[in-house]
Amino acid sequence: MIKQQILEEALAVAMSTGGDFAEVYAENTKNNSIQLVDGKIDKIVDNTYSGVGIRVFLGTKTVYATTTDMTREGIVACAKNAADIMGELKRTVNVILTPMGVKNNHPVLIDPITADVRNRIAILKDACFAAKEYDEKISQVQGTLLGVDHAILVANSEGLFKQDRHVRTRIVVNSVASAAGENQSGGCSPGRGMGLEMFDKFNPREIGIHASKQALVNLGAGYCPAGQMTVAIENGFGGVIFHEACGHSLEATQVGVGMSEMCGKLGQIIANPKVTAIDDGTIAGAWGSVNIDDEGNPTQRNVLIENGVLKSYMIDRLGSRRMGMAMTGNSRRQGYSYEPTSRMTNTFIDNGPDKNEDIIASIEYGLYAKEMGGGSVNPLTGAFNFAVREGYIVRNGKICEAVRGASLIGTGSQILKDIDMVGQNLDCGQGMCGSSSGSIPTDVGQPLIRVKKITVGGR
Amino acid sequence: MNFEKLRELLETEAKSEGLEHYEIYYTSSEGLNAETLEHEISSFSSGVSAGVSFRCVWKGSMGNAATELFEENELRSLVRRAKANAEVIENGEQAIIFGGSEKYATVAESVAQMPQVSDIKKLALSIEEQIYGESELVTEGTQSGVFAESSRVELANSKGLRLSNKLFVAGAYAQAVVNREGEAQEAFDFAMGLDETDALASKSVSDAIAKLGASEIPSGKYNIILDGKQMRAMLSAFSGVFSGKNAMLGLSLLSGKEGERVAADCVTLVDDPLKTENGVATAFDGEGVATYKKNVIENGTLKTLLYDLAYAQKAGKESTANGQRASYAQQVNIAPFSFYIKGGELSDSELLAKMGDGIYVTELKGLHAGANSVTGDFSIESAGFAVKGGKLAGAVKGFTVAGNFFRMLEQIQAVAKDVKFGMPSGFTVYGSPDVLLGEMSVAGK
Repeated sequence: MIKQQILEEALAVAMSTGGDFAEVYAENTKNNSIQLVDGKIDKIVDNTYSGVGIRVFLGTKTVYATTTDMTREGIVACAKNAADIMGELKRTVNVILTPMGVKNNHPVLIDPITADVRNRIAILKDACFAAKEYDEKISQVQGTLLGVDHAILVANSEGLFKQDRHVRTRIVVNSVASAAGENQSGGCSPGRGMGLEMFDKFNPREIGIHASKQALVNLGAGYCPAGQMTVAIENGFGGVIFHEACGHSLEATQVGVGMSEMCGKLGQIIANPKVTAIDDGTIAGAWGSVNIDDEGNPTQRNVLIENGVLKSYMIDRLGSRRMGMAMTGNSRRQGYSYEPTSRMTNTFIDNGPDKNEDIIASIEYGLYAKEMGGGSVNPLTGAFNFAVREGYIVRNGKICEAVRGASLIGTGSQILKDIDMVGQNLDCGQGMCGSSSGSIPTDVGQPLIRVKKITVGGR
Repeated sequence: MNFEKLRELLETEAKSEGLEHYEIYYTSSEGLNAETLEHEISSFSSGVSAGVSFRCVWKGSMGNAATELFEENELRSLVRRAKANAEVIENGEQAIIFGGSEKYATVAESVAQMPQVSDIKKLALSIEEQIYGESELVTEGTQSGVFAESSRVELANSKGLRLSNKLFVAGAYAQAVVNREGEAQEAFDFAMGLDETDALASKSVSDAIAKLGASEIPSGKYNIILDGKQMRAMLSAFSGVFSGKNAMLGLSLLSGKEGERVAADCVTLVDDPLKTENGVATAFDGEGVATYKKNVIENGTLKTLLYDLAYAQKAGKESTANGQRASYAQQVNIAPFSFYIKGGELSDSELLAKMGDGIYVTELKGLHAGANSVTGDFSIESAGFAVKGGKLAGAVKGFTVAGNFFRMLEQIQAVAKDVKFGMPSGFTVYGSPDVLLGEMSVAGK
């Protein structure tokens, strides 16, 4: 992407005014999505993102400069800009880079961008037509097939020089069911850190039918009652509960500046002993996996909570300096225009000791959240919220009528203690996580769990 | 590569590809951003960027491709990619490269200069210092920031239309963190422009302190006022329902309601692309159509949905000049500009008095997940203040407010005078005064 000599020159310039560490990050990302609505291909988004971000550290102070000018002059000017903002010292620094290979744990068989567009359209139409034909009440279906080819380069003043490529593929189908002037929606959106071979595992038609079934369930559902109740949250995207309620509060971005309710709690019991939670960026072909993070460190499997005890935070270089702890391969960013920070990869609650059928049977009256939507958290207070996309009332240990429009709210530290049953069907769902370093792909996951008491928003 | 050179190269390539109708949309920007932590500038960022998109009509459809990589091979491939992309489009939209409007409003181009790095640092540090000076409860995590961005838009097409715009947005923000006996709370406030930052510190600190010691409330029906910030966030979450395209595709329940009553009498919803105060005024939209101020809802009646050229043509109407392109990377997308609920007669405190008892909601969280624009349903984590006898009576938290956006518009009982605008994103800024919604469902303890 950029010649080694230019990188060395840029790093030397970046360090020349007193910085103690400098880093060049460059990306060339091809983003291609095919969008379908009303049964027809509506739009092709075909964008190339290309640019450089140069970061200089002095202790825990950072300067970050970016440019889309990829010429030698553009990159060196960007480095000089960063150096000028950092300090007034004048010194000569030499940087010698050592190119290092990166082992690819996520091979791609069928490139999701260069594959014949007709084949890609066929996959999308299979999914969307199956969704539309599922029931006559399905009034509209929107679908997107997304391919991303994200090539990155990281070089730093310690001599690190690595290049990598992350490819991912995702299909999103949203169905709308209509009756008597009312709309309800359902969706399905699996993705993988692989190419079109992901559809060997996921039948596009089943994805479409899943979306439409959910829309129909919601169309037939009454509003969810409001109040505190026992809630069983299903596997897959249900793991968003851990992502929001706890994951963000374990990121060095928050912990390193004292802005997390999890500060100073390493080694303490913070969750029910049935809870073990892991962040693992190495899982082959997973949506949130990468070979190296955006500071060039290999990703790793980090046990965050083991049998209820807090074991680790997720730490990037700046966090490592602030906290005096080792980096954990969690530094991520959307692209060159964002300064990286500590982020999650594939984060999940591990399988536990309880049988799934026992979990439902244990609930006298409560909510079964079969599928979750997105949410958000304030890491300082731990207050979180998330939406239930498909939910059912549980009565006398049996799943009964569907309810819609529910949300779950609580605080992270409390819900970790209130998760009192953990089932055995661990599975992950895919999301795009938004934070200060942009929007990045992350997996969330868990087996079926029971929360003994949580506030359910409804009416 | 400058814009003119880029344009020539793309035009030459377009001709050699046999393309007659095409458009080049170019955006560039330059920005500075300083952030403080613990009495130092903890991070400073500075960026320059530029990108271009090429769209063309081929076999009756519009194809599009965009890039930031200004290398000759990439730019030639851009034209070929746009053409290839047009080949697979099936939407039946009339592909229109616009010849230009008769008249464009005059929007004074910004003459503001980028501030000096040293001035930005100084201002950020002084705001942080003021925050710490406000109260002994202010603690670590407290931050302030200052940002400035200047940007340029160029549109050139095969019909000879040439339009350009220059924008400048700057502002400052304060995030106060307070801690009292182990209970931490925070509040965020911002100011547009770099000259009116004096109130930031006191406002953010008093807001954070006011949240301390919040109590939980039982579930039930409560009268609700949404403050202007929350109501504008709600408008943002549901702005897609005003798109003529969504209406036509059955994705908005406002479909077929133009000319009908959709909101209470006191609701007038304005879209004003020419409003200069928000820093993102423009005389033309992303397709080159002249923009104008309009009432989308007027005294409760839906006067018009928002249209671009293609969907106006499908609906048998004129474009409302809402075919927006926030940057080169975004394709034409129907979206509002300065989009706000017009202020009424009452002051904020008179609105509280009118409600009597209820909840004044000052925080809605997770709107991106908890609000569904297709159904209008929402169920949102909230915080705010109990109101008794028209006066604020203590902070409340940990509850949700649930309802339906369309029902809510119909039930609004009154709107206050003072319209509060948010920060711009692209060309879009939302604004609203405090709004008395009447009775809503609340889930609490």
